[in-house]
Amino acid sequence: MTGPVTPPPQLAWLEALREPASALEWDLARWEHVIRVARRLRLLGRLASGVCAAGMLPRLPAQAARHLQAELRYATWRSDGLAWVLERLPDMLGEVTYPLVLLKGAAYMGQGLAIGRGRLPSDVDILVPREHIADAQARLLGAGWEEAALDAHDQRYYREWSHEVAPMRHPLHGLELDLHHNILPPVARTHVDASLLLASLQASNWPHWQVLAPADQVLHSAAHLFHDSELRDRLRDLVDLDGLLRHFGTAPGFWDGLVARASVLGLHESLTLALHFCSRWLATPVPPEVMAAARARGLSRAKALWLHPLLEATLWPADPDRLPPRRQALAAQTLLVRHHLGRMPLSLLLPHLWHKLRPGAGARADADVAADAPAR
Amino acid sequence: MSPDAHPAGGLHQLGTGALRQRLARGGLHLDLGLVRLRVRADEPSFADQLCEVYRHFTPTEEPTWSDLHVSLLRATGVRRWLRPQVRFISDSRMEFDPFPADHALPLLEWGVNWLIGRRMNDVLLLHAGTLERDGRALVMPALPGSGKSTLSAALSLRGWRLLSDEFGAFDPRAGAFRAVLKPVALKNESIDVIRRFEPGAEIGPSFIKTRKGTVAHLAPSFEAVSRRHVTALPGMLVLPRWQAGSATVLEPVPPQVAFTSLAFNAFNYAVQGADGFRAVMALVRGMPAWRLQYSDLEDATARLLERWHEQVPLDSDPRP
Repeated sequence: MTGPVTPPPQLAWLEALREPASALEWDLARWEHVIRVARRLRLLGRLASGVCAAGMLPRLPAQAARHLQAELRYATWRSDGLAWVLERLPDMLGEVTYPLVLLKGAAYMGQGLAIGRGRLPSDVDILVPREHIADAQARLLGAGWEEAALDAHDQRYYREWSHEVAPMRHPLHGLELDLHHNILPPVARTHVDASLLLASLQASNWPHWQVLAPADQVLHSAAHLFHDSELRDRLRDLVDLDGLLRHFGTAPGFWDGLVARASVLGLHESLTLALHFCSRWLATPVPPEVMAAARARGLSRAKALWLHPLLEATLWPADPDRLPPRRQALAAQTLLVRHHLGRMPLSLLLPHLWHKLRPGAGARADADVAADAPAR
Repeated sequence: MSPDAHPAGGLHQLGTGALRQRLARGGLHLDLGLVRLRVRADEPSFADQLCEVYRHFTPTEEPTWSDLHVSLLRATGVRRWLRPQVRFISDSRMEFDPFPADHALPLLEWGVNWLIGRRMNDVLLLHAGTLERDGRALVMPALPGSGKSTLSAALSLRGWRLLSDEFGAFDPRAGAFRAVLKPVALKNESIDVIRRFEPGAEIGPSFIKTRKGTVAHLAPSFEAVSRRHVTALPGMLVLPRWQAGSATVLEPVPPQVAFTSLAFNAFNYAVQGADGFRAVMALVRGMPAWRLQYSDLEDATARLLERWHEQVPLDSDPRP
């Protein structure tokens, strides 16, 4: 990368997440568009939080201001609930001898990062050492969390092939908790040595909770996005990465260690993709030598040639007035196949897919959707 | 309501052809009071249904803003021919399972209610039927078996102005209720109950075998539509209960019952946090609360009006 990049005009509104004042120029039509796109991407609360903190709300068109206020209220309620649970969780678990680590959104909130403000959380992700995961799970179940009912296949999936136990839910507040022992599945082609992550933990603002080292947070966020099965509507993950890079990037030594750490953890491809899309779409300031070093190790020119367009088509936010274009669905399908091949060897994947796709297997997935659907 | 009561021309006068065209292109813009809605649709049967129950609404011309954007689109592929379905899409996301293609109107009503309940957290959204008289609101929380929609419909046909059969949209800054004006969703037996109660009631087509049984919609009156931006101060709280064969009984309700009936039947009480608590407390303190048991709509509406005149202040301008 040489010099600052101008992001595509359709994504220019994202600047207002960092610089709310840039939204003062928007006319009503612009606000209508941005509110629709931002809501869909789960970024409306974040936009609202910045605008309110800057005291700009009274200066905005009333039609837009009420939506921002409404969404900020909703996001605040959700994240307050999450913080309430997390602040009490260590006490509910009792004395443990191992670290309790917050991941992703909960970690951003636990560090008071800008990307955590006004964030609409979906679930809580926490990490413990693998040898203690059964203990942590037993303590959580003892504290009232409940496991989803799983068939034998799914139980085996989580026990043997996954990097987390089956999600748990608390009947009192309904929050979903994912308990991890690693950031990627152990059977994935990319194997991450979790002990390296655990060796460089840092304190968070919440007592008893730790977070990953700055570089590891960036790498986890990147791996979480680019190793996932579904990349549509995931622009928020890039916004998170941009926020992490801007925040930690000012600390001395951060950039020097990032590429090396990615190689040690085997996550250089995810890092390269993250830096590529962040700098192109969000004008994230990435030092040129870091970008060059990441590219040299991370992604061959030939692979970038087919992977970049697929990711672009899938990550690009849909026009709110149109159904997503067919080519996006096609790109997403292609990436899904790539994802499954990277996550499991074919000897595991084919039986797994058979189990998931056989007639009648959809019933449970529908029930999952219904849980998030309207009560009335 | 005679057609010439519409100086600007209601939806009914626009004609189905023009309406269908509008739905297929930029969309139809409807001002519901609390929110402005933009609807687009490619399902041909939908225009007639919409015309019936939004008949007194005048489409907003040259709209500059919509709060909710909804598309009702026919499912593609084999579905287009085999048991055709219609999908509810907002901001390019499909929010719910599709409905049969000829059930576009119930899907719209249900989906828009869900969007309002989830998104419009700038106001406290009680789950209640709300009507206005003398500048004040009659609020009827939706308790199981309350028949709030039936009673709301009946009152709206006896001189009360409908604000909503679903939402008690309380704006704490204004200290008043706002209209979320949509057709009243009548279910199963209550459709014929309202037809008998008021033979001239403008009820749209019946949709059988929806997830809530048979549903038909009562069109809000021209007066309710034209005054949808007029708010109503808190007036009276009534907890209705329909009981077969029962005489009409009106008895006072203690404040703690009034509180729970409002707070725990709300769409977004918890979301409002401490503000929500304060708002509901103020409502309970400001409104006399009654329990209404009834079986006869005519008698129930008459008794309510009687009680209303005894209880609710009739000052010409009730604003402080």
